[in-house]
Amino acid sequence: MGKKFTFYPGCSSQGSGQHLDTSTRAVMAKLGYELEDIADWNCCGASVGELAAGHLPTAALSARNLAQAKEQGDQDVMTACAACYLNTHAVNEEIRDNEQTKNDLNEALGAAGKSYDGSLHVRHACEVLVNDVGMDAIKGAVSNSLSGLKVAGYVGCQTVRPFAGTERGGSYDEYDQPHFLDDFINATGAEAIDFENRTSCCGGSVSVMKPDQTLHLMHKILSEAQAKGADMIATPCPLCQTNVEMYQDKINKKYGTSFNIPVVFHTQLLAVAFGLDATKDAALNQNIIPADKLKAKAK
Amino acid sequence: MADEKKIGVYLCSGCGIGDAINVSATETAATKQKASFCKSHSALCSEEGVNLIKGDIASGETNSVVIGACSGRVMTDKFQFDGTNVVRSNLREQVVWSHPAGDEDTQMMADDNVRMGVTQARLGNLPTALAEGEFSDTLLIVGGGYVGMTAALEAAKSGHQAILVERSDSLGGMIKDWTRVNPDDAPYREPQDNPVPGLIETVKNNAKITIMTNTTVAKTDGMPGRFVVELAKGGTSSVETVGAIIVATGWRPYDANKLGHLGYGVSPDVVTNVELEAMFAAGPVKRKSNGSAPKQVAFVQCAGSRDPAHLPYCSSVCCSQSIKNALRLIEADPDVMCTIIFDELRTPGTAEEFYRSAQEKGVVFVKGKVATVDGNLTVTYHDDLLGDDIPMAGLDMVVLATGMVPNSTNTEGAAIELNPEQAVYSHDDINPAAPIQVAGYKDGVVAPAVQVRTQNEVPDGAPILNLQYRQGPHIPILADGFSDSHYICFPYETRRTGIYTCGPVRRPMDMGEAGLDAAGAVLKGIQAIHNVRHGRSLHPRVGDLSYPKFGLSQCTKCRRCTVECPFGAIDEQADGYPTLNASRCRRCGTCMGACPVRTISFDNYSVDMINQMAASCEIPDEFSGKARILILACENDAYPALDMSGINRHTYSAFVRIIPVRCLGSVSLLNVSEALSKGYDGVVLMGCKSGDDYQCHFVKGSALAKERMGKVSETLKSMMLEPERVQSMEIAISDSARVGKIIDDFAANIVKIGLNPFKGF
Amino acid sequence: MNAISPNPTQKYDLSFARWVRDNIDGGERMNMCMQCGVCSGSCPLSDQMDLGPRKIFQMVRAGMKEAVLKSNSFYQCVSCYNCVVRCPRQVPVKYILHGLGRLAVQEGYQPKSNVENARFADAFWWSVTTFGKTDERLVTAKYYFSGGLMNGIKLGLGNLKTALGMIKTKRMHLGAPHKAKNRGELKAILAKAVEIQARHEGEA
Repeated sequence: MGKKFTFYPGCSSQGSGQHLDTSTRAVMAKLGYELEDIADWNCCGASVGELAAGHLPTAALSARNLAQAKEQGDQDVMTACAACYLNTHAVNEEIRDNEQTKNDLNEALGAAGKSYDGSLHVRHACEVLVNDVGMDAIKGAVSNSLSGLKVAGYVGCQTVRPFAGTERGGSYDEYDQPHFLDDFINATGAEAIDFENRTSCCGGSVSVMKPDQTLHLMHKILSEAQAKGADMIATPCPLCQTNVEMYQDKINKKYGTSFNIPVVFHTQLLAVAFGLDATKDAALNQNIIPADKLKAKAK
Repeated sequence: MADEKKIGVYLCSGCGIGDAINVSATETAATKQKASFCKSHSALCSEEGVNLIKGDIASGETNSVVIGACSGRVMTDKFQFDGTNVVRSNLREQVVWSHPAGDEDTQMMADDNVRMGVTQARLGNLPTALAEGEFSDTLLIVGGGYVGMTAALEAAKSGHQAILVERSDSLGGMIKDWTRVNPDDAPYREPQDNPVPGLIETVKNNAKITIMTNTTVAKTDGMPGRFVVELAKGGTSSVETVGAIIVATGWRPYDANKLGHLGYGVSPDVVTNVELEAMFAAGPVKRKSNGSAPKQVAFVQCAGSRDPAHLPYCSSVCCSQSIKNALRLIEADPDVMCTIIFDELRTPGTAEEFYRSAQEKGVVFVKGKVATVDGNLTVTYHDDLLGDDIPMAGLDMVVLATGMVPNSTNTEGAAIELNPEQAVYSHDDINPAAPIQVAGYKDGVVAPAVQVRTQNEVPDGAPILNLQYRQGPHIPILADGFSDSHYICFPYETRRTGIYTCGPVRRPMDMGEAGLDAAGAVLKGIQAIHNVRHGRSLHPRVGDLSYPKFGLSQCTKCRRCTVECPFGAIDEQADGYPTLNASRCRRCGTCMGACPVRTISFDNYSVDMINQMAASCEIPDEFSGKARILILACENDAYPALDMSGINRHTYSAFVRIIPVRCLGSVSLLNVSEALSKGYDGVVLMGCKSGDDYQCHFVKGSALAKERMGKVSETLKSMMLEPERVQSMEIAISDSARVGKIIDDFAANIVKIGLNPFKGF
Repeated sequence: MNAISPNPTQKYDLSFARWVRDNIDGGERMNMCMQCGVCSGSCPLSDQMDLGPRKIFQMVRAGMKEAVLKSNSFYQCVSCYNCVVRCPRQVPVKYILHGLGRLAVQEGYQPKSNVENARFADAFWWSVTTFGKTDERLVTAKYYFSGGLMNGIKLGLGNLKTALGMIKTKRMHLGAPHKAKNRGELKAILAKAVEIQARHEGEA
């Protein structure tokens, strides 16, 4: 078993989403996969790049990453960040399917002596877990059951939208009520609550600029998790994790609530369930609201 | 039948009948009703059961068979014995499947049904056909456009001679010169070449088709199988005998001069869709004002359509036509900006693909109602989705999508003066007072004002066929000018048997539909030709050999039969007596129901037969508490609905006795008064819906029945009976689930009123 | 005013729909819109939009260029992609909104100082082009101060507790920003892309 991927960590891996990066690498290694980073990767452009610079310069960012990845081999490109995946996958598909974009971007890449033909396949780490690893193998790797934990599986937006249902996106789940995250949670022995807001937007991409306009979105998500007795929220998206975690104070102030719900990554759950190290592998020390109940389960 | 009638009754105990009723008791009821004998079998439709009957017929034991088993609507092939009259008594669907087993009332119902069957057999005879004289196989096709030519070709392909009559000097019709037409072939995304020029050649080269241009139909006499048609060409005329007639006179555009508010006549750059077709045919489209190529074009949909001041209906093709023309403008010059302003875009079926194709190619679609177009070509429309009035300025051409007006008359010919009794037949006379709803608005939605109907309006122009019928020269039309037909069941039928309309004279339609329409109408014409020569009825009583017979010795020349026949089958002779044109007749019996002296009857159907059948039921005395309600149920919808009610095991009162009738039009007022005087506590007439959206298979039967029942209250008053005892009900074939409840409510009301005091008189 | 779209001063501009179709990313599918409203109904921020996507598309068709480009709707978009995956006619709603939003700023219908997203996007793009990577700390700071010094301090203090939490968990680092190595190469590629994009806009 095992396979090699070219890995695109993305900017959050060096900032707010370090614990996603750490735990993803640990989990994939445990499952026998080798990740080789894109040597000199740059930002993907996220959600706002287009607004500043327009489509083509934004796409050129991903094109450079892809050109490097291709230089490193034909293996699939994997990323754990929702926005990185969305942008890189979208640009890759556009180069593949749209002759005009392909020519334009190659002209741009040519300014640095680079080129890219669209022949790689860009994949989200969650899709790889579902399609390549498989739920049986994940269950098989669990040595430290998280039974007793109640977890709200919060998928967010860009992990599944708009590609999870497409053939090239791996067709691994649906858009409105995806179940893969619940499957991961249940595989660890924890209990996934029936979380209706699993794909409700948290407002992450706008929160930095105008948090007051998105607090109600996070409030809705936190309220349901609390009402249904979740010990914590688990998410695969770095922006969702940071957003839902760090604005709880503001929400409490605005709505008179007393949320203090840990928000962890699914890979942190998996790392603990796989019996890996709580700090070195699961990076539980990096959650602002400590996931004490999860830490207590760690070996 | 010269031989003495030997009525053999056969009861089936299968399908639960034997479990629910005492079959031997029913046998006794049959023999007491003076049947020659009664036998029962556990599965009458089995080979053994059928052979039992066949054997008895062969040995001469019976010559008139009553089958007490399933509904007469099923097993018709099994229970058909050549040369022997067969009556079916319904014991299954309408007795044991719809009433509790082992119940006294269920048993009484079964017994009565068999008694009625025996009576029906006694009074009815196997009909003999009326089919004398010569018949023609030729089809006359009126109208040499796409539809008429298609019809002629279809007729020729089927081995028939066709005479194709065209009033202008050449074939091709309305769209002869159009360069491109709406798509009819997959993938339905591009305008297609006009098939008409090719079709003209094909038709001209077909030896079976006789083309007569510059020709109109001066007169049509006779009946299906042998219409005698006078064809006028210039000053000369010729006479042909044809078996059936196809009318494909097509359409003309609505008069845009009435659309001044939409800029027509105000600016030369406001043109109609039909004018735009001519502009395409003349070369690259140029503005009429200055000869330049248009760059900003708006298409105004529903120009004078679905508008109470103009045409109340949707012409169904204008949306696709505008899409086609917008695509053509863009095809010729990709910089042309085309906006289609629609109220509701109607692109049914494959036209949806055409619509999407136009969206993809950059045609802009805007939902709104255009209020005005001014001389500067500013189109002001109300955008429903924005809730705002939007002025669209900077246009250099506006195309009005005008609708279709049917050529139900020849507007180039002179009108014929009608006598007042005939005028009513040129126009839909079902409910002349009802206003016309503007199409497409349901109840509860604010719709444009209704259009007031011009009562008994005679269309402008000469009649297409100039029928020499007592009921007038026109093919009856609906209020909106399209020919009257039973839209759901018999689309090509007109109210003149053997004459079929197709294409846009029947209803608005596009070329694809019109081509199919032509083929369908020709097939109906061929059916007519083949049936009438054997004296067989056409739809809906297909194959029926019976026909109305007039007892002229009692006839009072009241003319009700000639006036009320929905199909103009009966003419008046010079002496005022009615005369039947047999193959025009559809055997509905409306004449029979109309005749005040009961002198019209069929070999196997008469007013007296219905009376006697009703009378042969046993009426319990007033102390029994058991009411009896006579239901006269139309065989087309109400009777099958009652059967289906039983099939679905819905139950209803066992106090009812059901007699199927050909049409409520065949029910005489005497049937009602006679039943009440015999002690029935109530009478129900169950038939089809009447009115503009009628369901009556004979068009007017249910409306006439309603009208006649309007007079029954006087009869009831003279009998000192309550008017609630008689009711007419509209039951559609889909009403099987609720018909039982309707019956129960009526029965409960009768019990409340009290039983009929005439019982036992 | 950078008039790249036609007739910028006209209230009802008939060619606007066509222009959007030909020049806005995804605009070629906007014609397929059948005004069902699933986009606006699915949008988590539609209650804060003055128009919402459905109405914007209809106004584009009506040629209401000015009213469209003055809308605040583009900048409420959170890129949740609900509209994109739910549209029954496969209209890439989010992409069109972002394209229109950029156009509105470019043409001066939206003063940049009023559009938080545009200022944030600028801060973001500055970081990307300078370092090759997004430095969340610097982008946030730059954005805070893009609205003026006082505003920046206010916003910064308001989020102090949050920032401290991030620093404590080592998710915000205080040293020099992370950088891509070959930033010259990236700059050359981006400059070329900007040039190609300008060339296409000139062609339109």
